Amino acid sequence: MPGQARQPRRTQAARSPSALEAAGGGGGVHDVYFVFRNPTAGPADALLLLTHVEFKPGAGAAPNAPGGGGIPAGFTRIFNGTDLSGWHVSRTTHHGTTPDVRVEDGAIVLRQRPYGQGGLLLSDRKYRNFELYLEARPDWGTNGGIFFRSSESGTAYQVELVGGGGRGTGDLFGEMLHVVTGARAAGQQAAWKQDDWNAFRLRVTGDAPRVTLWINGVQMYDVQTARNDLIADATEGYIAFQAHWSATAGPVAGSFDLSDSWKPGAAHRFRNVAIRELP
Amino acid sequence: MRAARALALGAALAAAPPFSSGAQAPTLTSAIGMEFVLIRPGTMVVGRFQPACPDSAAAVAPRPDVDPRARWTGADVARCREMVRRDATPGFAATIARPYYIGKYEVTQGEWKRVMGANPSLFQGSRVADDADRHPVDNVTWEDAQAFVRRLNALDTTARYRLPTELEWEYAARAGAADEPSWPLIRESAWEQDVDKGTTHAVGGKRPNAWGLHDTLGNVWEWVEDFYNEKLFPDPAPPRGGTTHVLRGGSFTSDVKNATWFTHAGGPGNGYDVGFRVVREVR
Repeated sequence: MPGQARQPRRTQAARSPSALEAAGGGGGVHDVYFVFRNPTAGPADALLLLTHVEFKPGAGAAPNAPGGGGIPAGFTRIFNGTDLSGWHVSRTTHHGTTPDVRVEDGAIVLRQRPYGQGGLLLSDRKYRNFELYLEARPDWGTNGGIFFRSSESGTAYQVELVGGGGRGTGDLFGEMLHVVTGARAAGQQAAWKQDDWNAFRLRVTGDAPRVTLWINGVQMYDVQTARNDLIADATEGYIAFQAHWSATAGPVAGSFDLSDSWKPGAAHRFRNVAIRELP
Repeated sequence: MRAARALALGAALAAAPPFSSGAQAPTLTSAIGMEFVLIRPGTMVVGRFQPACPDSAAAVAPRPDVDPRARWTGADVARCREMVRRDATPGFAATIARPYYIGKYEVTQGEWKRVMGANPSLFQGSRVADDADRHPVDNVTWEDAQAFVRRLNALDTTARYRLPTELEWEYAARAGAADEPSWPLIRESAWEQDVDKGTTHAVGGKRPNAWGLHDTLGNVWEWVEDFYNEKLFPDPAPPRGGTTHVLRGGSFTSDVKNATWFTHAGGPGNGYDVGFRVVREVR
């Protein structure tokens, strides 16, 4: 969930979902259209054309394909597998400032603490152009995300993580940020490994970023965004992992129930987090 | 430039009415034109944490398309109640024993320039559509805010200025409220969730709180005097040391969840949405 209760909601629809499915399953080079409809901005749809998108075959991806088969050659680990050196918790995100973040079995594990209050774990270093590799395992009944070019409080581009790898996982949009050019990970359901670790490889280049995502070696999208959406025209930011908030500290008039954002005691896990910086 | 500024301030001070030590005026304007509101003593309960669990699993926004494994069960509701029993806190009674004046607005870029000279704010010039001098100063560290206070005290020796303590800030921001502000009230009172190439906004453009303070919620986070305790809420007394200081009130990048008067946050924040307001002590 993007955490943008009042931001104009975009409904996204592939112009030809059947073509997407076919392309995702069989590979090849295609033109793909996404239609973004903003109900508050007027009747016109924004049409995004992704030209010559290359779809990797969904099954039998080679171990060295982007995002498959462990940390790729040339990447540097930014999580050492034993402690949280190089990472810190945001004290200004609206999701919560006291999350339970720890290392278990070589993985970063995020949970709410106290009940209803999530949080954000940020890399200590900022990154501009890079390829990120990690393996994620989000529990069912949760919502989080992999943030990039994030500010300290979590204003960021976001790759969505729906618990269990539910529909919407991998989608690109903003967290506390209006991202004009989003993207839908149309092939995610077919690529996802249920109740297992799933490999994400994310490539980000350019001030108005070109964003490419592979899940388990299958390319989800390769999108050139229309502008740099970041506040104050920032061109770099933190890598971050989000645990969504789900309850306010007490009764709040006019609020709504977000209990479905995080089941009690649930966790998001990340391991083999590595990066390759690009010029 | 510094000499010219001191000269101008000297003229302003000479023209300012003498500070009276009798019954305090409800508002006052300082020699350099900063507006203050008198805050009278009182008490409040701070740090109450009592989140609600769903009444039942079926009450959790059931959506037919959600995988059954994502849905709440009776066991989840029971676990929620157990966690809330573990985590809930009654809060503590805090007493504000002495009256004080607090800035009606966040310190503006214009005020910062009059006192300090160079303006560190990101949201000035072509980054804002109107007069940046009326926007809150941004991109200031806690140490920068302290430097402002020191210079202000040197320029205006008729009063003592400082950052508010965290409890002074919360007491003034709540203005007598026992509970969190409603989400509709936050939207009326605060520049928040300004997520589409958002910026700071000229101070005073939103509804003031019940005691006449503007922008306590949203616009820029506000530094207070206290060290940060790394907890969800303040303690009755702040820590004696720490790695950073407390930020309050949220900013234009916050939302209704944390642009509230209970939110207890810590530095460094984003920089571009961090400012402060000052207290002027009552003599």
